[in-house]
Amino acid sequence: MPELTMTVNGKQVTGSVEGRTLLVQFLRDSLALTGTHVGCDTSQCGACVVHVDGKPVKSCTMLALQADGRDVLTIEGLAKGGELHPMQEAFRENHGLQCGFCTPGMVMASVALVQENPDPSEEEVRHGLEGNLCRCTGYQNIVKSILSAAKVMRG
Amino acid sequence: MSVPEIGQSLPRTEDERFLTGQGNYIDDINLDGQAHAVVVRSTHAHARINAIDVAQALALDGVLLVVTPDDWKKEGFGPMPTKTAIRKGKNDMDLAEPPRHCLAMDKVRYVGEPVALVVAETAAIAIEAAELVDIDYVSLDVVVDPKKALIDGAPQLWDDIANNLCLDFELGDAAATQAAFDKADHVVTLEVFNNRVTAVPIEPRGAVASYSPETDSYLLYNATQNVHANRDTFAESVLGIEKEKLHHIAPDVGGGFGVKNGAYPEPPLILYASKRLGRAVKWINTRSESFVGDTHGRGQDSTVELALNKDGKFIALRTTTIGAIGAFCWTVGPFTPTGGSARTQGGPYGFEAMYYQAKAVFTNTHPMDPYRGAGRPEGSFQIERVVEKAARELGFDPVELRRLNLIPRDALPLKTPMGLDVDCGDFPEVFERTLKLSDRAGFDARLAASREKRLRRGFAIAPYLECTGGGPKEFAGVTFVENGTVDLAVGSQSTGMGHETAMPQILAANLGLPFDDIRYHQADTDKTPIGGGHGGSRNLEVGGSAVLQAAGEVIEKGKVLAAHIFETTPEKITFEDGAFAEPGTNHSMTMREIIDASFDPLTLPDGMEPGGLNVGSTFERGIISVPNGCHAAEVEVDPETGKINIDGYWVVDDFGTIINPMLADGQVMGGVAQGIGQALMEEAYYEEDTGQLVTGSLIDYALPRADDIPNMVLAFYEDAPTAKNPLGVKGAGEAGCCGAPPAVVNAVLDALKDYGIENISMPLTPEKVWRAIHAKG
Amino acid sequence: MYDFKFHNPDSLAAALESCSQAEDGQFMAGGQTMIPVMKQRLSMPSDVIDLGSVEDLKGISVADGVVSIGAMTTHALVAADGDVQRAIPVLAALAGGIGDPHVRNRGTLGGSIANNDPAADYPAALLALGANVHTDRRQIAADDFFTGMFETALEEGELAIRVDFPVPKAAGYAKFGNPASRYAMVGVFVSQGSDGVRVAVTGAAPCVFRISEMEKALSNNFSPAAIKDMTVPAADLNNDIHASAEYRAHLIGVMAARAVGDAILREGAA
Repeated sequence: MPELTMTVNGKQVTGSVEGRTLLVQFLRDSLALTGTHVGCDTSQCGACVVHVDGKPVKSCTMLALQADGRDVLTIEGLAKGGELHPMQEAFRENHGLQCGFCTPGMVMASVALVQENPDPSEEEVRHGLEGNLCRCTGYQNIVKSILSAAKVMRG
Repeated sequence: MSVPEIGQSLPRTEDERFLTGQGNYIDDINLDGQAHAVVVRSTHAHARINAIDVAQALALDGVLLVVTPDDWKKEGFGPMPTKTAIRKGKNDMDLAEPPRHCLAMDKVRYVGEPVALVVAETAAIAIEAAELVDIDYVSLDVVVDPKKALIDGAPQLWDDIANNLCLDFELGDAAATQAAFDKADHVVTLEVFNNRVTAVPIEPRGAVASYSPETDSYLLYNATQNVHANRDTFAESVLGIEKEKLHHIAPDVGGGFGVKNGAYPEPPLILYASKRLGRAVKWINTRSESFVGDTHGRGQDSTVELALNKDGKFIALRTTTIGAIGAFCWTVGPFTPTGGSARTQGGPYGFEAMYYQAKAVFTNTHPMDPYRGAGRPEGSFQIERVVEKAARELGFDPVELRRLNLIPRDALPLKTPMGLDVDCGDFPEVFERTLKLSDRAGFDARLAASREKRLRRGFAIAPYLECTGGGPKEFAGVTFVENGTVDLAVGSQSTGMGHETAMPQILAANLGLPFDDIRYHQADTDKTPIGGGHGGSRNLEVGGSAVLQAAGEVIEKGKVLAAHIFETTPEKITFEDGAFAEPGTNHSMTMREIIDASFDPLTLPDGMEPGGLNVGSTFERGIISVPNGCHAAEVEVDPETGKINIDGYWVVDDFGTIINPMLADGQVMGGVAQGIGQALMEEAYYEEDTGQLVTGSLIDYALPRADDIPNMVLAFYEDAPTAKNPLGVKGAGEAGCCGAPPAVVNAVLDALKDYGIENISMPLTPEKVWRAIHAKG
Repeated sequence: MYDFKFHNPDSLAAALESCSQAEDGQFMAGGQTMIPVMKQRLSMPSDVIDLGSVEDLKGISVADGVVSIGAMTTHALVAADGDVQRAIPVLAALAGGIGDPHVRNRGTLGGSIANNDPAADYPAALLALGANVHTDRRQIAADDFFTGMFETALEEGELAIRVDFPVPKAAGYAKFGNPASRYAMVGVFVSQGSDGVRVAVTGAAPCVFRISEMEKALSNNFSPAAIKDMTVPAADLNNDIHASAEYRAHLIGVMAARAVGDAILREGAA
């Protein structure tokens, strides 16, 4: 089986995978990073979003081998030194999550959204969440969380 | 952290776990040596199974087992019974309940019905092997439309059930209703269609099972909303074992909305496989499988007749419904279109008489079971749509007509003609507050601005009346640990609603303890002797009341201990602000001090053991509560394309006492979004001739995204806590999707009123809206 | 998904070589359609040749009235590229409206056109702008490139290298998305360039197509009014649960007018 090496949450990891192994499978099954979720099989829901080289991607729609040599950030790597990332903190404060299943992908997408657009309007946030489905919150508190985190992240 | 209060928006305990990827969902659970199972599902909607050939599948390297219907017959496993509370229809007719086995016996009756289970070393091998299971089907004629299923000569799903009729149900006074119609000045009739939808929690269902030969018992992790009831079904009805032999645990569950409530076939299948193989077995559905393997909801065709006098006063209401229930009764499937929709008929309006009748009908579609609201959203839609039509047809202002007919505050308490006990609330006040919130004064300016953009704008207001449901009993156990921790175990279950926060909040507030001292346990058949799980907006009402009751019992025990320490009698002890005191003396001890004392054998009175403050308390609800409220929506419609944009949304809810406003808001927002989804986007659509589910994946089933949902303005009416339960709460979980469909649909029709469009059936897709406009020129 | 042998060539030559050696090799660009299709077990290549490391296939240049975009350039990069935004602003906007942010970080121009999904956005842009597709062996005009549903003029083992888009005088795009998938249910791209007006429609039929009557009318008068009452026959259009052929035919008219409006607006803003 092919070997691969990548940086995941700041640590170098190696593994051997099949050609067909998806990045999300490698993260969950080989690295036991089960924070990244699989909510669909048609690349719609976004529960599996992680950052690869700083950009959000659907880890269910990327082969593990395509991440060979790359830098991967998952939800487990977002909080630093026991401190929640401002986006995580904002989701908590604003009740931006209920069942928590879409949350890892939603948070990773939201962090990228604000990195790309540090001062988004509500409309831009809603549009920017096009790739992430949530069935619990009605999105309102997710949008609120992102707008609030953006303020903090702008400093 | 300090002592929390009731009414405080306490941030959630579970969030840190969920936000850092430390949640423990079903697919995160892996047992040593586990094998992987995949269900072989029927590709036919109706067919006889001639033969099942598993030879090729078994020959594949890594395949361990293929479970077939023959295994099930050989083992003598039983069917999973329906537990619907409604079992009798007109003329004492009994509910027709065909046996529902975990695998299709001889015939398949819907696409997605499990036919076999393949177990292999890996999931990939199991998927491949599942394709190699060769099933020889003989196709039979299919019927997916319940109206057609009732007609003589329609394909018959069950040999011994005539005309596919499961139950012919009625409620109310037919004669009195007819008499009222006879004297009415106006009768307004509307055909109302409630589209079939499915819940789509973002976490697909799954389970992991293992068997211990040493104890001859099973362990089942399952993404379910209801561990106790489903344990009973799996153990007693299917496997024929004592229920104590099955330890059923739900880990973190990624959304439910009713669809994870019922007894599904996969858990017993993997329980059986785990015993046969002597290995743990894991099964996880794919999303696309979920569409054909999860229950659906709504799906009602109704004729609604409203009788009014010339002033616009409502006199009587008659609703005749045909409700699809799919191929089986499932867990409580026949309840929804019958009792479920009957109870809240007429909404918050006054009527002299009402009559509701419904036929629950089998079709070659996935069985139905509760979906958030389970009949009440349908009822709410029925009344609000016919009222809107009456206003238009008879020339009343829709707001005025509603205002005229709302049950006034001083008429409460009352029993509706459907027998619903409405104890308290102020419907007119809630209605007026909603109107005020929605800035009616600014409407004309917004309308003019829309016109500038060549868009149509409309408004609608939709008061709703709801009721709760679900298991009437709940258990709360409080166990004090010497290190200061308090374990709280409750048999109700959160699938995202925040019980891990709200329930400890109730306990801590009432005992005067810091919130952080409390550890919450749920969804484990070993942790509570009974449990009603999640459903019917029941948690605070039943589970919360159990916690409150348990807190009261702890306090009573605390008083005994305090009295012993103060050398007085318990009647003389008060408990206020977290402290036990003897008025008139300087004797006072905090709850914490009393708890500590309870572990000191030297301070205990006779008959109290160390840790003697522990309680296990079962609360039983008397009468269901009646949440109510009012929604209003403003929409813009693009007549060129038929596209709808919801531009404003306002809600005032009466949920009685609000324990945690932040969580209550979340319930409303989520419910509204699901209601909007049903109104505008979602439909589980079956092809008529083949019974194939066309909207069988997220590519075709339209789930609302963030930019499909408006910002909602929410408020609570808190002046009418109910006396039906000690917390004063009225269930909040399902109200959102009762109000949203009528508010949105009526607002769209208001926007299109110049075209004379009377009705568009849900979901109001752009094409349907465009066609309605186009047809009217 | 069926398993396959994975190749990660770092040059065009190596990529072509890998594919030619394979029993049933398939190039993978961004994989945003190919991986979902493989997950559904609808395709089972023996070898997957990932193009992600082939630098020759990436990049954007604008010179002499031509915007040239490498086949492996992601939608996100096209959307954010200042040169594209200045030269053909609607092309950047179109790229920024494909799929969702995550898809745009992986999905590429080359993958999109080689797949030729009937509801994809890029084919409309290529056809309306009169773009040229450069492959490892030849140049193919957009008019000849898109040949049918999921079919293109690309031969076995032939690889799109880059696409050259002539900069038009004005261009606009209007899309009506499928509410579930958000793919174009109807998308109309209109451009006014050196060789006249071109109108291309995606999402509505098995393959992207042009509407010559509209092109003629707009050549005389480049305004929404010019095509206001023009109807498109529904006969050959797609018909599914999301939109009937009749509705799609209607939407083509509406989206075409809006695309013209978009083009005029963008030209005015430039």
